[in-house]
Amino acid sequence: MSGHSNWPEWIYVTVVIALMAWVGAEAWEAERLVEHVPEDAKTIIVTGQQWFWTFEHEDGTKEIGELHVEVGKAYKFEVVSKDVNHSFNIHDYVVLMDAIPGRVNTVWFAPDKVGEHDIQCREYCGLIHYNMRGKLYVEEPSH
Amino acid sequence: MKFLFGFLLIVAVLLALPAVDFVFAAGDEPGKYLDRRVVIWNLFYKMMTVAFTVGSVVSGTIIWQVWRFRESHPKAKPTSFEGTDW
Repeated sequence: MSGHSNWPEWIYVTVVIALMAWVGAEAWEAERLVEHVPEDAKTIIVTGQQWFWTFEHEDGTKEIGELHVEVGKAYKFEVVSKDVNHSFNIHDYVVLMDAIPGRVNTVWFAPDKVGEHDIQCREYCGLIHYNMRGKLYVEEPSH
Repeated sequence: MKFLFGFLLIVAVLLALPAVDFVFAAGDEPGKYLDRRVVIWNLFYKMMTVAFTVGSVVSGTIIWQVWRFRESHPKAKPTSFEGTDW
């Protein structure tokens, strides 16, 4: 047809590519920020098994079903599983990481307020999955 | 020729993606304290803004096209393909 121009198509394609690049960059940046563990983060080994959570602190103390941390400090969770796939979730702090047998997955957070929060399993892991819960206690620093 | 161009374009994208990933990846320096809730929800709101903006532009364009190029539009012109006598 006479007078036909491709310019609208090219503009459309360019805008779409630019938007996708921007969306990708934003997502990458957010991922980089939330995965970047602070140097002084304390490591807590989180073990999931049917159907409870075990937490092991750096000094070797262990907790079952509850986790005590101090406000204003960073913690790195090393999430492992002893049997089937689980998913470690502290909903209030948007902490979510799969616990996979044979793998160590890491996620970190820094609680900013004293309080109690629920810990739960977010991957169906068997009969008592619904009750594979725990409690996070964020406390004042001891020193 | 066209095939070669498309193929090379795909290869270029496949090479570029890991390079971009590497640039954005976390470096060796330690991370800063941050509230992951803020970062994650900010990303969510930004993405929703993009999604709704693009959604309204696309659906608005489609609605306008359907309205403007209907047969009964006062300025409707038959194309050479229709061949009807208007």
